[in-house]
Amino acid sequence: MIPPEDTSVHSLPGKASVAEGFVLLDGPNGVAVTMTAYAASETGKSLIEAARMIEEKTESDK
Amino acid sequence: MFTDKFLRDRRGVELDVHERAILEKAVFEIRTIDARKTVVQAGDTLSVSMLLLEGFMCRYLDDREGMRQLVAVQVPGDFLDLHGYPLKILDHDVASLTAATIAVIPHKALDDINATMPELTRKLWFSTLLDAAMHRAWLFRLGRLDAVGRVAHFLSETNARLVPVGLSDGKRFALGLTQADISEICGITSVHTNRVLRQLREERLCIFRSSLVEILDVEGLARRGQFNPAYLYIETISDRSGVERLTS
Repeated sequence: MIPPEDTSVHSLPGKASVAEGFVLLDGPNGVAVTMTAYAASETGKSLIEAARMIEEKTESDK
Repeated sequence: MFTDKFLRDRRGVELDVHERAILEKAVFEIRTIDARKTVVQAGDTLSVSMLLLEGFMCRYLDDREGMRQLVAVQVPGDFLDLHGYPLKILDHDVASLTAATIAVIPHKALDDINATMPELTRKLWFSTLLDAAMHRAWLFRLGRLDAVGRVAHFLSETNARLVPVGLSDGKRFALGLTQADISEICGITSVHTNRVLRQLREERLCIFRSSLVEILDVEGLARRGQFNPAYLYIETISDRSGVERLTS
């Protein structure tokens, strides 16, 4: 069994697609979400911003 | 006979003739229920338990917005609320998905069985433990599988459960559920369910059309849903369902 602290951290990206005017996000792992275009867009921006903060910190720690 | 599907083909717990006669005698009433009717509400005090004879029923919980999550589906031969015998008050609702027929067994009759028939009592207990095993599988499905995997797991499980009671030939069965029901079982939207069912069809794994399910590739569908039927404790599943390699 994978140690508990590792089981919910995903290292592979999810995949977004469009169906019936909504954005579907599948993965990583058990994620299965349907969003409006607005929710998907804002979630995407928020994810990119959060990832950018980690990347900047990682860069400054070097 | 009302109880002929109960625990049929379950490993080591099939009822013998005498036990089946006792359970038959315990049936107080046969009721028919229209589709989409709630028969037990959370918080009701129960004095009977119900055995499903025909149709599909479910246990469900609503969230604060009234959105429903199905937490179990019952098929013919399943008790709807045997756990209500010791609990007396349920923490969830029970409703019909299709038109259904149920056998009603008073808790007083279960008291008598409990007092005089320890082996039959053990088998009734086993059936509630089967419920618990399925709840664990449903937690796994929602926690670990993607949308396609969740639907594949549910359809594989339902097929495996219907084989012992003679309602699936191992590949085809009638499933009087809507896409909205499947969404509420799998924790996804109807849009997602529609897309998933199309994907399963395009991958030549399964076709769900007009309440009929045809599994084109039993092993492939099980693999897609990480479905291992061991938790269903079905005696002859490997002979009938084609998923024997997954159980080994």
